[in-house]
Amino acid sequence: MKISVISIPVLDQEKALQFYTEKLNFIKKKDVPVGGGNRWLTLVSEEQQDGPELLLEPAPLHFEPSKVYQNALFEAGIPYTQFDVSDVQKEYDRLLELGVEFSMKPTEMGTVKIAVFNDTCGNNIQLVETL
Amino acid sequence: MNHYNKEVSRIKDDVYSNQWQIDTVIGLKNYMDINFSEKLNLTLFSKIRFVSKYHLLRLFKKYYGLTPNQYLMDKRVEKAKEYIKKGMSVSDACYEVGFESLSSFSSLFKRKTGISPSEYQKSNFR
Repeated sequence: MKISVISIPVLDQEKALQFYTEKLNFIKKKDVPVGGGNRWLTLVSEEQQDGPELLLEPAPLHFEPSKVYQNALFEAGIPYTQFDVSDVQKEYDRLLELGVEFSMKPTEMGTVKIAVFNDTCGNNIQLVETL
Repeated sequence: MNHYNKEVSRIKDDVYSNQWQIDTVIGLKNYMDINFSEKLNLTLFSKIRFVSKYHLLRLFKKYYGLTPNQYLMDKRVEKAKEYIKKGMSVSDACYEVGFESLSSFSSLFKRKTGISPSEYQKSNFR
């Protein structure tokens, strides 16, 4: 058994594709139409292109509980998921420059440094650097 | 301040208030990041930080969730993958990351990645 795909709910797949590729520099891996204007749309990290794929899932548009859950996490500032970076401060500065909004500035917590940003598609995302 | 930011503040106060311990384990991790190809000298490190070797091991596990040796093995395998990807031979990569025996390197590599170093090499040169 392998972990090859993890999913994140997004309110708009095309907007999410732009944000994740243009701001986070992820690379589109698969894009398959699945009817009703929906796509099986996956991305990989530029630095780990053979790693797990991130599925941009349009669940909040079609399944109310998914939307409720996503909203509740967002309002509480809780990250839906997290991505590793080698330097949180550097990535924070780079993304800020690109207009990305952060709800938590780079913050040390024990042996990690974290920051949280808004992916503009309904989610908070946490950046993590292991110190 | 939102709920998550409050929780992070609480965790910092409740779990991560001992800065000396945190600095010590981060120091050990940095030491391993730099010296991963050398024989790990925990005795030397514990003397520098004035902490017993066993306490140091316990602290590392407490803050990073794995032992220094597990961290070092993961680090060496990651580095070996990097070197093999860049075109280095499996045996050169093995010695370069600090292993003295090719067979122990190969079995560890397979245990950590699911494939042998030579299979990994082939998959990167297809």
